[in-house]
Amino acid sequence: MAKYRREQKKNFLKKIVGLFPFIIFCLAFEFVPIFILVRDSFSLKSGDLTLQHYQSAFEPTYLKGFWNSIKLSGVTALIGTFLGAGIGYQIFKWPNKKIQSTLITLSDVTTNFAGAPLAFGFIIILGSAGVVTKFLLNTFHWKIYPDFSIYSFTGLILTYVYFQLPLMVLLIIPAFSGLRQDWREAAQNLGANKMEYWRNVGIPILMPSMIAGYMLLFANAFGAYATAFTLTGLRLPLITMQIGSAISGEVMREQGHGQALAVISLLIMGACIAIYQMGTNKARKWSGH
Amino acid sequence: MKTPTKGPVFLRFLIVSLFVFYMLLPIVATYLFSLATRWDRSIMPEGYTWEAYQTAFNLSYFRITLKNSLILSIASCLVSFIIIVPTVYLTQINFRKFRPLLDLLMIIPFAIPTVVLALSYVRVYTFQPITRSPFLLIMATVVYTMPFMYRSVSNSVDAVDISVLTEASQSLGGDLWNTLTKVIMPNIYPGILSGMLLVFATVFADFTLAKLITGAHFKTFPMLLVEQTQIDGNVAAALSVISFTLAWGISMVLLWFSSKASKSKKAQPSDKAYIGK
Repeated sequence: MAKYRREQKKNFLKKIVGLFPFIIFCLAFEFVPIFILVRDSFSLKSGDLTLQHYQSAFEPTYLKGFWNSIKLSGVTALIGTFLGAGIGYQIFKWPNKKIQSTLITLSDVTTNFAGAPLAFGFIIILGSAGVVTKFLLNTFHWKIYPDFSIYSFTGLILTYVYFQLPLMVLLIIPAFSGLRQDWREAAQNLGANKMEYWRNVGIPILMPSMIAGYMLLFANAFGAYATAFTLTGLRLPLITMQIGSAISGEVMREQGHGQALAVISLLIMGACIAIYQMGTNKARKWSGH
Repeated sequence: MKTPTKGPVFLRFLIVSLFVFYMLLPIVATYLFSLATRWDRSIMPEGYTWEAYQTAFNLSYFRITLKNSLILSIASCLVSFIIIVPTVYLTQINFRKFRPLLDLLMIIPFAIPTVVLALSYVRVYTFQPITRSPFLLIMATVVYTMPFMYRSVSNSVDAVDISVLTEASQSLGGDLWNTLTKVIMPNIYPGILSGMLLVFATVFADFTLAKLITGAHFKTFPMLLVEQTQIDGNVAAALSVISFTLAWGISMVLLWFSSKASKSKKAQPSDKAYIGK
C-alpha cells in the first residue's frame, strides 16, 4: 500500500513537472509584478502602510485624467455598441453572401489599422494641414480650424470610434445568427407583431451580447495608449498617459502614486472584463454555441 | 414571405456604404499620401513618387528598428509556443478538471492595461541585466498576447480527441516528447499556427510596451513611425503602409486558415481587441 502510494506520488510529480515552465512564467511575469505593484501602492519608502498615494491619485490633475479616460471610453463604447450593432445587423441581413463575407473581412482587416498608423491617417485627412482641411479651405473657404481640431477630445472620439465599430460588428454578427428563425415563427404564431417580437424575444436574447460588447469596447478604449499618444501627445491628459509619464519619470515624486493610479485602472479594466466574460457566457448558453 | 420594400433596402445600402467609406478613408489616405508629391491644393494628389519610400529605407534607424521588431515578434512567438502548447496539452491529459482554472488564468492579461504591465515590470525588475532589457519586453509581449494564443491552441485541442491520440501513441511505445511532437502537434497545428501569426502581428504593431519598457535602448519599428510623424509626414505614411500591409497580409492568411478550419476553431473577435492600441 505504501509502495503504491509512493508510486502515485511519483506519478503526480511527473505529471505536474511539465506544468512548471508555465507556472513559473506566470508567477514571475504576471502575478509577482502585479502583487508588488499593489503592495507598493499602499506603502511608503520606509515600508510603513499608507493611503497617501491614493490621496494623491485623487488630486485634480489625476481626477481629470481618470475623468477624460472614462468619458472617452464611455462615449466611444456607446457609439460603437449601437452603431456597430446597427451596421452588424445590416451586414447580417445582406442578401448577397459574397458581399456579406467581403464586408466581414473588411471589418476584420481594419481592426489591424490601429494605434500610431490610425492616428496618423486621421492627421493626414483632418490635421491642421490635412487633405480635407485644405480642400475645404481652398474650395469652399471654410476654415474648420480652430473650431474643430483632430488633436482634441472630439478628434480622439472620431479616431477611437474607428477601431470600436469593426470590433462591435465582429462581436454582434454571431449573436444575430444565434437568433433562431423558429423563435421568430413561434412568436408570430402566437400573434406577436414585429415590435413585440423584438421587445420580448429579440432584444432580451441580444442583451448579454450587447452588454458584453459595450464592456469590451470600454476596456479596449480605456487601456489604449498609442493612438492618443500619437494624436495628442501629452497635451490631453488620459490616465494611461499619466501612468506612462510616471514610468519615464517625467513626473518626479515619491514613488507610489503611479502605482496607485495603476491599481485603480486595473480595477476598472478588471470589472469590465469580468462583466464581458459573464455576458459572453450567458450569450453562448442561450444561443447554444 | 413578404418581399422587402425599397425603403429598407436603400437604407441598408446607405448605412453600409457610409461604414465602408469611414473604414477605408484613413487607409486610402495613408497609401496615397505615402506616394503623393503634392497634395494640398486638390482633392487628389498632383503626382506620384516613390521618394518617401526611398527616404524611409535610407533612414539610419530603418534597418535597425525593422530587425529589432522582427526579432521581438519571432522571439515572442517562440516563447509563447513553448509556454502554452505543452501546458494546454498536459492540462487536458492529466488535469482536465482544472481546464476552467486555466481558462481563467489565460484571460487575466486582458484585464491588465499595457501601461500597467509596463509600470509593474519597470518597478519590479530594477536590477541588471534584466532591467529595461529586450528580454523583459519579450516577456511582457508574451503575457499581453497570451489570451489569444491560448484560445487558438485550446480550440484546436478541443476539436480533436486528445486522449485517444495519446493512448494510441503510448500503446505504440511513444514517450511524452514523441507523443507531443509527432502525434499531437501535427493534429493541432492550425490552431498553433494561427495563434502564432496573431501573436506576431500584435507584437510587431506594439508601440506601448516597447516605448515604456525598453525605450530608446531597443527601438522598434512602431517607435520609428511615431517619431517620423513629427518629422516627415510622407515618410511616416510610407512606414505606416509597410506596417499595415504586413498586418493585412497576416490577417488574410488567418482568415483563409479559419475558413479551412471547422466552425469551433474560429478565433473569437475579442482576440482582435487591444491590437496595437
